[in-house]
Amino acid sequence: MSEITSSDWFRVILGLLIAMGFSQLNALFLVWLERKVAGHIQLRPGPMEVGPHGLLQTIADGIKLMGKELIVPLTADKKLFVLAPVLVFTPVLIGFLVLPFGPNMVIRDINLGVLLIFAFSTFTVLAILAGGWASNNKYALLGAIRSVAQNVAYEIPLLLAVLSVVLMVNSLRFSEIVIWQQNHFWSIFLQPVAGLIYLISATAETNRAPFDIPEAESELVAGFHTEYSGMGFGLFFLAEYTNMFIVSAVATGLFFGGWDGPFGGLGIPGVFWFLFKTYALIFIIMWVRWTFPRVRFDQLMNFSWKVLIPLSLANLVLTAVIVKFVR
Amino acid sequence: MAEQDITQASQRVFSLNLGPQHPSTHGVLRVLLDLDGEYIVKADPVIGYGHRGHEKMGENRQYKQFLPNTSRMDYLSGMLFNHGFVLAVEKLVGIEVPERAKYIRVIASELNRISSHLLWFGTYLLDLGGFTPFLYTFDDREQILDILDSVSGSRLTYSYCRFGGVTSDIDSKFIDMTRAFLKRMESRWTDYDKLVSKNIIFIHRTRGVGVIDRELARQYGVTGPNLRACGVGFDVRRSEPYEVYDRLDFEVPTGSKGDALDRYLVRFSEMQQSCRIIDQALEHLPGGEFIAKKVPQKLAPPKGELYFAFESARGLCAYYLVSDGGPDPYRCHIRVPSFGNLNVLNDVLPGTLVADSISILGSIDVVIPEIDR
Amino acid sequence: MKAKEMERVMLLMFPDAPLERDETGLTGAQWSIIVPASSIRDAAKAFDGAGFFLESLTALDFEDTFELVYHFNYYEPGSRVVVRAPCGHDQVPPSICDVYRGAIWLEREVHDFFGIKFSGNPDMRPLLLPEDADYHPLRKTFGKVSAYHKRKMIYG
Repeated sequence: MSEITSSDWFRVILGLLIAMGFSQLNALFLVWLERKVAGHIQLRPGPMEVGPHGLLQTIADGIKLMGKELIVPLTADKKLFVLAPVLVFTPVLIGFLVLPFGPNMVIRDINLGVLLIFAFSTFTVLAILAGGWASNNKYALLGAIRSVAQNVAYEIPLLLAVLSVVLMVNSLRFSEIVIWQQNHFWSIFLQPVAGLIYLISATAETNRAPFDIPEAESELVAGFHTEYSGMGFGLFFLAEYTNMFIVSAVATGLFFGGWDGPFGGLGIPGVFWFLFKTYALIFIIMWVRWTFPRVRFDQLMNFSWKVLIPLSLANLVLTAVIVKFVR
Repeated sequence: MAEQDITQASQRVFSLNLGPQHPSTHGVLRVLLDLDGEYIVKADPVIGYGHRGHEKMGENRQYKQFLPNTSRMDYLSGMLFNHGFVLAVEKLVGIEVPERAKYIRVIASELNRISSHLLWFGTYLLDLGGFTPFLYTFDDREQILDILDSVSGSRLTYSYCRFGGVTSDIDSKFIDMTRAFLKRMESRWTDYDKLVSKNIIFIHRTRGVGVIDRELARQYGVTGPNLRACGVGFDVRRSEPYEVYDRLDFEVPTGSKGDALDRYLVRFSEMQQSCRIIDQALEHLPGGEFIAKKVPQKLAPPKGELYFAFESARGLCAYYLVSDGGPDPYRCHIRVPSFGNLNVLNDVLPGTLVADSISILGSIDVVIPEIDR
Repeated sequence: MKAKEMERVMLLMFPDAPLERDETGLTGAQWSIIVPASSIRDAAKAFDGAGFFLESLTALDFEDTFELVYHFNYYEPGSRVVVRAPCGHDQVPPSICDVYRGAIWLEREVHDFFGIKFSGNPDMRPLLLPEDADYHPLRKTFGKVSAYHKRKMIYG
């Protein structure tokens, strides 16, 4: 094992700071994008007042949120209550360290990169449960429990779909996967079933509609972040959009060729292609949210356990058989 | 609520309150649910938050003065209630209505029926989590409100129908706007069909959910699209035709199973049939007067009673007027369809999942102010 | 015709009850019969057996008596009939809620507005009025009233 030098430390810390900054900008942009997409799908323009075409709307909302009083319920578990929003947001940032933004633009290209992202993103589940429990509120706890069940159920097909690609490429290192796709085909053409399962599971993992029961407003359970106000609520929101970015970036890296542009990139740097594809996937996730009604909770669980998991298992076995014959 | 020990809630029945402030526009409804886990054991709707005393007002006002009250009971079918009251009093007193006025009133009523169903459509989908159709249907509804606004002066609660006819005649602008609206809706039906009716998530949320069978409907006096979804083709416009409905050609859509999906499809078809009625009425619209010439200012109906039924957007609605010969009614009772429609939930909700209760509540299309009066 | 059949049934059950037919159709019902308040249940059972539904239940307040008015209807044209039951100001008529389940709420509403208690109705809480209401608004002795008559003044 190679030694960890001080320049490595420097790189990692700088990378984390860039990740934090990037995730803030990303959330800023995505909140605006969501409202515009929602608006135009619903035949209305969305925010138009603050800034040109409402671009500064999110900043105004952020300032408003920061100015709100942080209410901690009297009977809540104070430490856990305050810790939960932080827990839901911070571990996800580690994922930024291994994302392949460009040909040589990975902060730390660990040979277990894919595994690292999923290991740290599972923290979200714990944080949501902590938030719901600490609120000492019947409805928040119900929302948190539903969220945990949903996350656990959809984690499995997610990982199985990713495993199929990993098996095909024979590596967990992100940059190797992208280079393999550059030399062969994008994985989405070779593993369409896995790609579809990944996208569906990713939507469920990030609690986005049509799988957004844990935070649904029109059901009687108001969601696990009922008791949170001001910046606590803001952090949950931030975490959701950061999660969306990470999940789409992983999909881009694993299935859509990462920084690889068509016809050799057309002279445009790989970073641009990577971001373009990621945001296109995010747009599709948003598009789905404003089109479909919500799935009922037991139908959601049935779908995962009875449809997605057997399908992804079958896909994995098939991939293994084909890989054995090809090699 | 904060002190309740949630950790031991496994088999114990605990009560949940679907509070008076509801996220969707049913009105002020409170349902006390007893839950066993995720299943509802007992459901008890609590109403009366919007009781304004319309029936008492009816006894203390002249017939003409009660006219504005009628729109405000079910504000989504304001024109239909207005129309029904006017028809009841005309029958009681014996006023002849010119042909043109009859056709105008039918057109206005059917437009109101479509707008009520459109609002139900949007809010039902909103309850289920599909945010977008709400804005589309409200856009369509705006067209209707503009049309009715141009001729009656108000958007929601009308006093357009008067004893003997209507307040003002419709002009070519009204006819053009209505025709444009009908043309626009033709393409909209296919849009809604593709976006909603054929959407697999929507179908899974509504098929087999909240089944009301015929016997239950009969026990509670359920009428309207809820009854027609069970397979009973009972529509007041066919069984006791009033105005010109016996001259117009339209179908009464029925379902078969009585679940939420059938109720949705019945209302969807009803909107299209209403468009058909308006189309025919516009074609056959005769010239002539829009209000009867000699309607007495002070009505003195003969002694006796009258029970007049009409089809509102929600079902069979009736005015029961008892007259003592004086200018005020002796008793003015309004039979509202949402009364039975909501009451049936006492037997439909137990045994269903909590997550389905929202879907069922939305699918029966109740307007609480009409129950409260 | 359902209404004609029920007319025969009613006349068999209550041979000397006054039954008025409405040939002109001006009252909205085919016929109207007056039965004693104690035999409403039998009448309701007969209608239930014939497949009618309870369309409306309300009351009228006269100087000499209350009058309960039941409207039954069938899913065919021209099938509405009225059953009236005079009921004294302090009388307690029987409930028909075990025959028609929808009658529970209808009787609660009548109790709210007129103060008529129904024996056998398990739930007499106020429906439209507040839970602690002890007044009955639609009585002609409550609030502003423009007319208060005896029954024969209107119906002869």
